[in-house]
Amino acid sequence: MLVIRNLTKQFYQRNEEITVVDNLSLTVKKGQVFGLIGPNGAGKTTTVKLVAGLLFPGKGKITIGGFPAGSLEAKRKIGFMNENPQFYYHLKAREVMEFVADLFEIEKAAATKKIDVLLKEVGLKDAKELAVRKFSKGMHQRLAFAVAQINNPELLILDEPLDGLDPLGRLDFKQMILKLKKSGATIFFSSHILSDVEEICDEVAILHKGKIIAQGSPKDLVKSSKQSLEELFVRSIRNA
Amino acid sequence: MRKVLWAITLNTFRETLRDKLLYSLVGFAVLVIAASLLAGSVSLGQDARVIQDFSLTAMLVFLLIITYFIGTQLVFKEVERKTIYLVLSKPVSRETFYLGKFLGLCLTILVAGLIMAVMFVIVLFAKTHSVPTAAYFAAGAVILEAWLLTAVSLLFSSFTSPLSSAIYTFGVTLIGHGSATIWLLSQKASPVIRGILEGVYYLFPNLEKFNLRNDVVFNLVPSASQVGLILLYFATYTVFLLILGVAVFRKDEF
Repeated sequence: MLVIRNLTKQFYQRNEEITVVDNLSLTVKKGQVFGLIGPNGAGKTTTVKLVAGLLFPGKGKITIGGFPAGSLEAKRKIGFMNENPQFYYHLKAREVMEFVADLFEIEKAAATKKIDVLLKEVGLKDAKELAVRKFSKGMHQRLAFAVAQINNPELLILDEPLDGLDPLGRLDFKQMILKLKKSGATIFFSSHILSDVEEICDEVAILHKGKIIAQGSPKDLVKSSKQSLEELFVRSIRNA
Repeated sequence: MRKVLWAITLNTFRETLRDKLLYSLVGFAVLVIAASLLAGSVSLGQDARVIQDFSLTAMLVFLLIITYFIGTQLVFKEVERKTIYLVLSKPVSRETFYLGKFLGLCLTILVAGLIMAVMFVIVLFAKTHSVPTAAYFAAGAVILEAWLLTAVSLLFSSFTSPLSSAIYTFGVTLIGHGSATIWLLSQKASPVIRGILEGVYYLFPNLEKFNLRNDVVFNLVPSASQVGLILLYFATYTVFLLILGVAVFRKDEF
């Protein structure tokens, strides 16, 4: 579903070249939940933005369902939720969903039905006529999760979806992701909350300074290293 | 594509309508136009002329302020608030997004311009019991000029800060209205200066082409060919600016 080959991304700061993603390759298969984990500044968000087509690769290639990332065909296949999602202050939750449905050129009647279902699923049914400027952070995250699913995406891309949520919110969110996983959804997400990743993912990659330093299923990684995922994570980063 | 473009246009329009600055500017413009009644009453038999000059100039100034302050913020705000992620991660091309932002603000300027124009017509009619046809053309040309400068401000805002963009757009406005003077100066200058001034004359938009305000006094209705030329000039220049803006915006990363 998602293929990343030899991806490199550099930024320039005061005439200095900084490599944020360094020759990264990975594959996310259909129906798989893939977690990209790493400390702050590891290059997770940059990788996710490159996949979503918000940044352009310096070198390498990203394809989504065979189409280059950033192309309209690829964007039609994905649902994207960015870190700390924000919405237009002048819109209500329902209007945000309708606006995004229009961007996908979804027919109005079908969109209305889908919006009701999704807002109910994320627990915003009663807030659908509320202006998003009045939303709490948790509500923003929930709305972003609903927005990301409006087009029944073949690949759901989530950047730190559990970040900044209270324990109850995190539990709810985890359950929503697990429900999607059960239904066979393909999910690519970044996080630094290891316990959640361990619980949700079929495969994880530990990213450090833009490079993958360990990759595999959480169970296999834990089994082969005879350590908990957290211990493995810390050791891998320190030894890298 | 049309549905997507319309969605972005309408969203931009609704977004700008929520801007308190817009209401203040339109409200103030309406007040200034209404005040032209007083200015007219103290002139010696030149009421209509004063009202026309005063109102049409106020219309132009306030529409340009809307362009400077709201137009230059359009893309910047999207990036700053991260709402651009919501749109550009969806099947929306950069061209459609850019064009949608432009058309959305043009719609806002049209509505603001129409409100000011209606006030102008009411004031003029209240004083003179007639409204010359040329006044409608002059008001329309003011809106066209504001639209063209919206394309200018959007172009600048795609690679610089809103403040710089507003200053540059103001600079283009000044040069654009001084085109005739620049041309006259170039004809009297040395060859090098002449080359530079002629370059400026041809590169910058000649905004005096949209100045039909002086014709209103004598009710000189522009001919069809004159209107056609104004529209052609507007369309050519605006399309050129939009193509340039899109070329810059396509390379932006967020």
